[in-house]
Amino acid sequence: MKTLVSAAALLAASLFAIPASAANLVLYTSQPNEDAQATVDGFMAANPDIKVDWVRDGTPKIMAKLQAEIQAGNPVADVLLIADVVTLERLKEDGKLLAYKSPEAAQYDAALYDADGYYYSTKLITTGIMYNTSAAMKPTSWKDLAKPEAKGLVTMPSPLASGAALIHAQTLAAVPGLGWDFYKSLAENAAVASGGNGVVLKSVASGEKAYGMVVDYLPIREKAKGAPVEFVFPSEGVSAVTEPVGILASAKNADAAKKFVDYVLSEKGQEGFLKLGYIPARNGMKLPAGFPARDTIKVLPINAAEALKNTDKDLKTFTDLFGSK
Amino acid sequence: MQGYVRAGSSQPVWLFPFIVSVVLFLSVLPLARLAVVGISAFANGGVLEVLSDPLVWSAVYYTIVTAIIGTIISLIIGCTFAYLLTLTDIPAKGPLSFFFVLPMMIPPQVTALAWVQMSGPSSPLLKALHIAPPLGSPQPLYSVAGIALLYGVQHAPLVYLALRAGLMTLPRDGVEAARLSGASRLRVFRDIILPLSLPGVIAGAAISFVSCTGNFGIPAILGIPASIFTLPTLIFSKFTAFTGRTFGDVALLSAIIALISVAGLAIQDRALRGRDYRVIGLSGATAAFELGGWKLIFTPLLWIVLFFMLAAPFFALVAGALVPAYGVPLTFKTMTFHAFEEILFRQAVTRTAFVNSLSLASGAAVGLLFVTVLAAYALTRRKDTLSRIVSSLVEIPYSLPGIVMAVCFILVFAAPIPVLNVTLYGTVWIILIAYFSSFFAVSLKPVVSAFHQLDPALEEAARLSGAGFFRRLKDIIVPLIAPAAGASVILVFLIACNELTISALLWSAGTQTLGVAIYNLDDSGSSDLASALSVLVVFMVVAMMLLLELLAKHLPKGVVPWRS
Repeated sequence: MKTLVSAAALLAASLFAIPASAANLVLYTSQPNEDAQATVDGFMAANPDIKVDWVRDGTPKIMAKLQAEIQAGNPVADVLLIADVVTLERLKEDGKLLAYKSPEAAQYDAALYDADGYYYSTKLITTGIMYNTSAAMKPTSWKDLAKPEAKGLVTMPSPLASGAALIHAQTLAAVPGLGWDFYKSLAENAAVASGGNGVVLKSVASGEKAYGMVVDYLPIREKAKGAPVEFVFPSEGVSAVTEPVGILASAKNADAAKKFVDYVLSEKGQEGFLKLGYIPARNGMKLPAGFPARDTIKVLPINAAEALKNTDKDLKTFTDLFGSK
Repeated sequence: MQGYVRAGSSQPVWLFPFIVSVVLFLSVLPLARLAVVGISAFANGGVLEVLSDPLVWSAVYYTIVTAIIGTIISLIIGCTFAYLLTLTDIPAKGPLSFFFVLPMMIPPQVTALAWVQMSGPSSPLLKALHIAPPLGSPQPLYSVAGIALLYGVQHAPLVYLALRAGLMTLPRDGVEAARLSGASRLRVFRDIILPLSLPGVIAGAAISFVSCTGNFGIPAILGIPASIFTLPTLIFSKFTAFTGRTFGDVALLSAIIALISVAGLAIQDRALRGRDYRVIGLSGATAAFELGGWKLIFTPLLWIVLFFMLAAPFFALVAGALVPAYGVPLTFKTMTFHAFEEILFRQAVTRTAFVNSLSLASGAAVGLLFVTVLAAYALTRRKDTLSRIVSSLVEIPYSLPGIVMAVCFILVFAAPIPVLNVTLYGTVWIILIAYFSSFFAVSLKPVVSAFHQLDPALEEAARLSGAGFFRRLKDIIVPLIAPAAGASVILVFLIACNELTISALLWSAGTQTLGVAIYNLDDSGSSDLASALSVLVVFMVVAMMLLLELLAKHLPKGVVPWRS
């Protein structure tokens, strides 16, 4: 009995040994873990006096987290690095963001950042088609996914789990000749939508599905590692998100957050993204290995204000077609 | 004994109120907070819209069906192992028991992924045998049967531990008397062992059923691709599409889950009512039966079952951690340790998650045990409606999916606590409290079934001789319920260590748990990292179990649940 009690005491003591996290800067991001860690490591190497705690989740989930914290009056995050400007535009309109004019903005196309300095795009992430190399058809157009050859073999990320997926659906829905009718034909072709882009990558690479809509860098990077996948930029064009960075108005470490914004926009930070296989947003940067020339990639336009207004309606349209996923 | 004691009761007067207030804090307060949010949402209409949604009703149907089939499968596997390993002379009992408890430590989402890997079109195993299904073949596990099968595998150890705790206290003399009088083995099993072990079976079934209705990891991975939604996954999907009505919808869906679970528990209550199986003390029914020739059938059978529950998924995990990219066949040429390198030396989250999960799991397990022993005492000694209500209240948080409890606690603790002015949100403490709430039922079950079998005469005798409450607790009750208490601690520890759904919403910067880290890595497409971390987790758990195994001779009998 004595041993049991002392063992219990020992365990209880271990509980109080939890190191209080002494982080200065808290980053919420939707980058995959390896990339987020690399970004944070690069920033901490450039700013040795700042410690960063970061968390990663799909954009809608991280926003759900943030919303809960905001409702609680205790947002933990200082700085956001998430999929799309639409989400940050919404936060800006709600007065949740801090304006900061970064000196690095001079090197960026004016369309890539908010004129008041509430958020800045950091890279270009397009969504195209990936396919398993053992697939019979080699898709070149979005419409190929609705062909009988692809019946039951198509997967895509759900807008409920991925910010890029929502923008993608809203972009294609506005393209003449595609629109929601295209999505309807996909649903009739037994396409599925579940989880984030990581899930799509896995199910196509493993051969559970043959074709997937997915963000560019995942399959291009995996192909380089030897995965049996290919990525194509469809003829109609691709949707793009720009992974903007923004500082929360409630940030407890606004100065460190500003340094973080400067870092990800700086040449060094952008080099880091390039190394990870992303298209940097900064002017005059190269493209990562495995990408076609920049001017051959046709990026479809999206009206951010419209997209923001229609978000709930579009989500409902999507989930009615593909089940609540 | 100072203070007032009610006639005919041996409880100190503060005990029951204390238990009630703990339960009020852990069960009623958070759910009431959710109810308020739900009701205020309904005030704006919307309840009809939810109830007229066919998706909700199909989710109710799938939740019940998968939970029932899953419970049956877990009972078949769990009971077979418990009876054979506790009551017979089957060889290699120790290792068998040890390995059988092990699958519980593999988080459900990892189990599901491993099984999918074993049977999918790109399964390295099937590819090597040239029987891999063609590209785009439907994955057989993406079905009601697949979900139920994995529920069964995941929860069989729960049934095993619950039943074993009961079997340990079987009166051996009864069995021997019957055998000496010439009763056949079957007859002894049917007339003595089965009836006496029934409370354990029913308790195990209840734990399993409740766990199935609240499981998120398995239906998330196996159900969603086939558009099969159970209530927990439906709630999760409502959350990631948060609208102004989400909280209200979720409150209603949670109520439905609560009803299903309470119905299951009510059936358990009915089944146990009017039975009184109290035995005198511990008699440790060890090897009451010689198997004889049956050994040749049972021994390979158990090892084959274990191979599929444990070895095959584990190898699939290791393979998943060693491939350079998803979908690449694993050969000595393609094998790489990059994932382990990344996890061990670069990802800051690894260390954080290990420290958090271990601290939280041990804190929850040990902390709960103290409350549990007192609660079980109070609840088994009172046979009134109030104590039945308290028992049901304890069950409710566990039968709700973790994601609902997480939301409840966010609502309760998000704002700074009045008077103290501390904010628990975003700290590990909110996760710990949610664990206390959610795993109270897990911790309580084995201890309550031990109390049910405790003869009150022993304690009465001590009381009449003037022993105070704590003295009786220390000298009589605790030694007699030690096996169940051990089972309770281990159960909570293991479940908390691999828990995902609660921490999925409550984690924050620096408070990630292992479950969150694994799910998150997998979710971002880094399944190699997720597998590598899972492999480390399995190693850690095996190491901890081995440590317990080594300590076992210094611990009271029965504390290490897989040992005889």
